[in-house]
Amino acid sequence: MNRNKNLLLLSSLGVLALLVAAAVQENILKSWRRIQGAARGEAGPVDVRLRQIVVPGLKAADRCVSCHVGMAPGETGIAGPSVVAAHPPVAHDPGEYGCTACHGGQGRATEEADAHGAAPFWPEPMLEARHAYAGCGTCHTHVRVPNEMALERGQRVFERLDCLACHKLDGRGGTLRPGGAGGMEGPDLSRVGAAGAAVDWYEEHLRKAREGADATWKTCFGPTEEDARRDLDVYLASRVGAPGLVEAKALFHTLGCRGCHKVNGVGGDDGPDLTRAGARDPGRTDFTHVPGAPTLANWQAEHLRDPAKIVPGSLMPALGLTEEQVDGLTFYLLSLRKSGFPEAYWPKDRILAERFGEREFAADGATLYGTFCAACHGAQGQGMRYPGMSVAPAVANADFLAVAADEFIAGTVERGRPGRRMPAWGEKEGGLRPQEVRAVVEHLRALGGVAAAEADTEPPHWAEGDAEAGARLYGAYCAGCHGAAGEGADGPALKNRVLLSTATDTYLAQTIARGRRGTSMPGFGNASTVHPALSAEDTEALVRFIRKWENAP
Amino acid sequence: MSEQERSSSALREFARNLRQAPRRFLETVFRHGPPRTDRTRSTFVFGNVFLHLHAARTHRWSLRWTTTLGLGLVTAAAFVITLVTGVLLMFYYKPYPDVAYQSIKDIHFVVPTGLFMRNVHRWAANVMVVAVILHMARVFYTAAYRAPREFNWVIGMGLLVTTLGLSFTGYLLPWDQLAYWAITIGANIAQSPREITDALGITDWADIGGLQRQLLLGSDVVGEEALIRFYLLHVMLLPLLLVALLAVHFWRVRKDGGLARPADADRRLGPPPADAYPVFTEAPRKTYQLAAVVRGRTAAVGNGPEQTVPSMPHLFYAELGVFMLTTLICLALSLWIDAPLKELANPNVPENPAKAPWYFLGLQECVSFSAFMGGVGIPLIVLAGLGLIPYLDREERGTGVWCGGPGGWPLVRWATLFGLAAAIGVEAFAIRCGWLREWFPDIPQLVITFVNPGTLLAALYALFSLFVVRKQNSVRAGALALFTCFLCGFVVLTIIGTYFRGPNWEFFWSPADWPKH
Repeated sequence: MNRNKNLLLLSSLGVLALLVAAAVQENILKSWRRIQGAARGEAGPVDVRLRQIVVPGLKAADRCVSCHVGMAPGETGIAGPSVVAAHPPVAHDPGEYGCTACHGGQGRATEEADAHGAAPFWPEPMLEARHAYAGCGTCHTHVRVPNEMALERGQRVFERLDCLACHKLDGRGGTLRPGGAGGMEGPDLSRVGAAGAAVDWYEEHLRKAREGADATWKTCFGPTEEDARRDLDVYLASRVGAPGLVEAKALFHTLGCRGCHKVNGVGGDDGPDLTRAGARDPGRTDFTHVPGAPTLANWQAEHLRDPAKIVPGSLMPALGLTEEQVDGLTFYLLSLRKSGFPEAYWPKDRILAERFGEREFAADGATLYGTFCAACHGAQGQGMRYPGMSVAPAVANADFLAVAADEFIAGTVERGRPGRRMPAWGEKEGGLRPQEVRAVVEHLRALGGVAAAEADTEPPHWAEGDAEAGARLYGAYCAGCHGAAGEGADGPALKNRVLLSTATDTYLAQTIARGRRGTSMPGFGNASTVHPALSAEDTEALVRFIRKWENAP
Repeated sequence: MSEQERSSSALREFARNLRQAPRRFLETVFRHGPPRTDRTRSTFVFGNVFLHLHAARTHRWSLRWTTTLGLGLVTAAAFVITLVTGVLLMFYYKPYPDVAYQSIKDIHFVVPTGLFMRNVHRWAANVMVVAVILHMARVFYTAAYRAPREFNWVIGMGLLVTTLGLSFTGYLLPWDQLAYWAITIGANIAQSPREITDALGITDWADIGGLQRQLLLGSDVVGEEALIRFYLLHVMLLPLLLVALLAVHFWRVRKDGGLARPADADRRLGPPPADAYPVFTEAPRKTYQLAAVVRGRTAAVGNGPEQTVPSMPHLFYAELGVFMLTTLICLALSLWIDAPLKELANPNVPENPAKAPWYFLGLQECVSFSAFMGGVGIPLIVLAGLGLIPYLDREERGTGVWCGGPGGWPLVRWATLFGLAAAIGVEAFAIRCGWLREWFPDIPQLVITFVNPGTLLAALYALFSLFVVRKQNSVRAGALALFTCFLCGFVVLTIIGTYFRGPNWEFFWSPADWPKH
């Protein structure tokens, strides 16, 4: 009997001890209790209680404010450890949208590791502080973002004109006060792109400077040339309160990533769709070859540096990006985290983009070229060749632009080159609208410095000649680069139905005769050390021979 | 006595009654005084609705720790713990997809001691599954299923199945990836009779598998219908069934004469210790029996002094002790290891490997050979075999003694060796060399259904035990061999399924070798 009695006594004491341990863990050891205990409000210690921001519309119950007490709605003047500090001023009130909508992480959790999403089995870890503004991408789709150069131009104008003297931008500037030290500084321009600036701001500034209520106005503003004003407008439109993010997107629109990747339905098909590249579950991402911490930011950065190292067998070439570019693109990719939030919460820009067909990229030719073409054809249209991939022609080559009519270039952009890497960018395929294609053509002409192709009065097909002689010539001079059957090797494939149906005989003959200076394509009109000069008849014969492929299977 | 005096004496009486009320209240609750004499100890037991399922006196054999190891009590205690914690969890749990997951997160993070309660619930459920299997093994190895306890063994089988059902239905409720895909596997197992009906070409008319799956899920996929079904089964139907079966189980223990003990138990026990309260310290002069109503032998006539002690307090100390020990184990495990909760269930992202709860992984291993045999065939054969044991083994030697009867410990050791070797051997062969499908790609599925590593293993075990029956000339010996083999097979297959099966149910020495995505 005593054995059983002792068993009962000891096990009961053990149960009691464990229950006490559980109670201590629950009521004393929770870190948010300790943090709140250390925090001091304006009227002494704060209430130690679980705090949360509930946003039914976003299905959020964010308990982050249990530790970050200073960020809880209605709390002001909280002092204590840095974790209880107030939220820096941002566009959105945390009390209205909660925390996780922007920052990610696990709002329901009350322990740091769980809440920051560093725990296993939580698919949306928190964005690191340096990428905090990537959270904007959860709801926002910034529209009409130009390429990097346009943005930089605008910024230079902004600084050259010393707008920062009166205006604040992202926390800088705004020291000059018209009317003396007591006067008002100019409005903060950090979010002017989101709110929109008055269209007549320039005229208004000029008028005030002219009327000159005080000395400051008289000296601080003067007439500005129209180009500079246009650049400035582009820059100001990009000031939406997300420092760095629009710049990162501009970089994306400079390096031509959309040539292979779709984002929100627009872009090429060769690479994976990036629409939600920033919302990938790290638990389902392969970090085997990623040095450093297994975070999505790290993965994206390493992948940008050397895609095939991170994803063995990846077709994406190493782009030779600078570290700055890697950082910028990583930042932008992390912002691609479009949420399924109800439409009532959508901001204006996302509605514009998804309901009204507003473009995410600016409509000018340079941005369009940077967005879709630059990765393959080069920033200056100089042509590119990545290891293991076929050559992308130099599309801004002056010799090319001189013989290629606008219709030919536009047709090529719209219909692509089936069977080659060049996709069709027409509205039904790649999604470019006719006026956008025209803008790209204009941009190419600007890049190459050839305003228009030489006039061609001939009909599309005029060449007459001996196709067999052409075949002989082709074998001798062309097959080495373009392939014996025109299938392409170092040079582009010529046996391409779309190429041959859009190219006129003049175009082909002229290309053979002139070549493309600055590329591997020599001009056969003049002799060189490796080939004699081809006569006009020879060229015609070659054209006739190449033409035979137009209807070949 | 004046009117005034009468009313004042009534007032005094009122005051006195009021003063005495607490004591009287206690007296009316504990009507028979403190349990200090044999008589009051007995009354303590049969005068209490909850305790009177016990006999007023308990044989000393039953109180030996080695008799039962308290395993049945552990199972019952674990059930009580799951019941209490389960009811607490029900206050916060919301059985609707996605919302369910959020409510579990809330239980984890903000419900006071919510995580702890969920841990206790989870661990107690696991303890219950382990204990119910061990309890069955104990009853088997002490041959305690023999007459008159045959039917109680069958009730025990029902309790085993109900316990597994409770645990399995609880698995879906968190609505995380683990739950979702484990139940998807379970539902596919329910559908496995299709393997037979497909092979026979009668699925169009008699789709038993599809019907079972439909009944289980209430839909074609694991969704809200399935969740509400599992919830209802988990919190209402199965617990009610379990309580009912448990009541019968306990009652039959009592009616069948307490725990089984060897015929010479009294001699083996020796004289009672000084602090025990034996009854019938002298040979009984008289026994009482409702001879016309109660069947069986009278307990006392001609048996001399019995080695029984009052259940109060001896048995109740033991029972409470085991209960508290079980609680202690569950609490300790709960403080140590948290119940798992993966990411929100996502029907578009299958878990690979998707694994059923651990106690079904042996079956899932068989399912990987043949869905029908693993999911339906082998479990039915095992259950039928277990249920038949008390009706086939009608010997009397060795009742109430561990591994008693023909064969004994040496046989159990040999059977363990054979059971492990056969299971590991068959598995190793199948893993290394593949099976019929790899050798003859065009072989009809029906052949594989009946000839696969699972059925081969079962056949080996059956042959081995038939051999033992012949050799020992005893059915009990054969049963001993077969049961031991099946336990070994269960353990080996469960371990392989748990630790050595990776994506696409392929064999890996360690999860570190799993291919990455």
